[in-house]
Amino acid sequence: MAYPYVSDREVRVISTQFGDPEARTLAGAKQRGRYQGLKTALDMSPDAVVDIVKASGLRGRGGAGFPTGLKWSFMPKDYDKPHYLCCNADESEPGTFKDREIIRWDPHQLVEGCLIGAYAIRARHAYIYCRGEFFEATQVLARAVEEAYADGLIGDDVMGSGQKIDLTVHVGSGAYICGEETGLMNSLEGRRGEPRVKPPFPAAVGVFGMPTTVNNVETLCAVPHIVVNGSEWYRQWGSEKSPGTKLFCVSGHVRKPGNYELPLGFPLMDLIDDLCGGITNGNALKAVIPGGSSVPLLTAEECRSCALDYEGVSSCGSMLGCASVIVMDETTDIVKQVRRMAAFYAHESCGQCTPCREGSIWVTRTLERIEAGRGTEDDLDTLMELTAQMVGTTICVLSDSVAAPVQSSVLKFRDEYLALIRRGERVGTA
Amino acid sequence: MSPKEPMDTPFHNPGWAGNTGEFDLTEDQVRGDDFVGSRPLAGAHPSSSASYPYVLVDKHPESPLFEGPYRERFDKILTRYPDTRAALLPVLNLAQEVRGHVSPETMDRVGELLDLEPAYVRGVVTFYTMYNKRPVGRFLIQVCTNISCNLCGADEVMDAFLRYSNTEPGETSEDGDFTVIEAECLAGCGFPTCVQINSRYYENVKAGDIPSLCERLRADGK
Repeated sequence: MAYPYVSDREVRVISTQFGDPEARTLAGAKQRGRYQGLKTALDMSPDAVVDIVKASGLRGRGGAGFPTGLKWSFMPKDYDKPHYLCCNADESEPGTFKDREIIRWDPHQLVEGCLIGAYAIRARHAYIYCRGEFFEATQVLARAVEEAYADGLIGDDVMGSGQKIDLTVHVGSGAYICGEETGLMNSLEGRRGEPRVKPPFPAAVGVFGMPTTVNNVETLCAVPHIVVNGSEWYRQWGSEKSPGTKLFCVSGHVRKPGNYELPLGFPLMDLIDDLCGGITNGNALKAVIPGGSSVPLLTAEECRSCALDYEGVSSCGSMLGCASVIVMDETTDIVKQVRRMAAFYAHESCGQCTPCREGSIWVTRTLERIEAGRGTEDDLDTLMELTAQMVGTTICVLSDSVAAPVQSSVLKFRDEYLALIRRGERVGTA
Repeated sequence: MSPKEPMDTPFHNPGWAGNTGEFDLTEDQVRGDDFVGSRPLAGAHPSSSASYPYVLVDKHPESPLFEGPYRERFDKILTRYPDTRAALLPVLNLAQEVRGHVSPETMDRVGELLDLEPAYVRGVVTFYTMYNKRPVGRFLIQVCTNISCNLCGADEVMDAFLRYSNTEPGETSEDGDFTVIEAECLAGCGFPTCVQINSRYYENVKAGDIPSLCERLRADGK
């Protein structure tokens, strides 16, 4: 009972249970090998777990790609203060839909990952911060957590090891910015989800003022497999700097959208043309956003040589982000879609920093004017100037995320803007 | 520029109620309902008692905060955090589950329960989009119109819902059944258009599906 679109070019490590309802139950999960990694980890010292994850080269799957083992190693090596692990399941980057799939098909994999992570960083309490909208997926997770508590996998004596680790399923209430790690911590504390100035970094002063690590769902789900199979096993895929497998969320104008788990470094065009069955209606490719709406667009030409790992996508002029591949064919109205993305950021800006609060709104209004056919060529310069002032000038990178699609589209699809401005012609309808 | 044509391949990903395509699963299996079952109002284990803010079809804006099983859930939520402030979001969720929306009076009451200033609570409520500051219809329909869904016709889906309910975005239909709003990305991008109706996701929704979907809602409540 495999997930509908499975290719033999996929390497499925995290996504093996997608589409299999029996993997949700504790009995089913154990049959499928879940909690072996936890058992292995508990026989090791916390520092040995950190070392193995460090050696695997696993990088954070939430977008920034920071090495997970290194992040864990920043945590204090004692139990003087309470430590916290926060699992970031506030998935809301446009184009990304991997975490919900993991949670709803394989919740025990995430529970196990959280427990190992908590053990490694000496946390006695882990919170899974689920996006509020994920009501159904969260119930699957909550039920799995209850089963794990009843079975002694979570609680005062995890698997008879004497370790105490609690786990709480927390839900957000609808704010994109709570996916930013310090915003998430503020939100978890019952505050507005406004990002915090760093330093101090979360490993020193995090949630409830205590040392904290925030990891993405997919990152934590990779951990049990690494602990069981070893770091070299994980390094058989991907490259030196970007090892392992990654879920690629493909959406937009492809015949078979969906999650594909691939070794990092996979060629972008093979993903689109082979695994995803090509562009809908046999149309020509216009642009791809390779890492969610916060990264620059790639033109069809730039996509030809693009390899999907952190370095490969950077060298093509964009970022891998959370590997959310949004495919746009020739019918796409770039101006409209960029305006839609800008409007999203204007809506989601928390409002703390002036460049972001004001800039995102002005960018959106300017784009709306161009889209309505009332733009001028000067507006394009205004957009570039405005967005240039939004990069690196704010507490978090939401502001930079507005600049990425706007700047890249003005530079790469200037013709489309000019067609609208000069002749009132829309290029594309989607 | 080529004219816009319909998608040439139907989407077979699971999700859209009643149409799981070639996927050999029931709707309950796809949604996880067969595993989750019905959740106790008082909350099950405290670890998950903060996790279910149901959006209920019937709203009771005058209900007390909190009594009976809801009081039990409230107490369980408080045990999971080192301070009471952290319980604010889950408790507001719970209040909305009970009353259907979060009125200023509700905010004050929640503040009283958690020993937080009313202005502080208001500041938090207005930050988050999932708190309905005004009453909504029996079915709150949130249509994702962000990029991935938008590329695949989300604007038409939005229009179809508005036409069916004969409302403007954010308005409640005359019969009190529907409130339709635009939503930001719901993380269902591979299943466009993704629509959240009350607590549930409906995926691969096309404009043509709206009348039958809305009739199903009226008949079954989900």
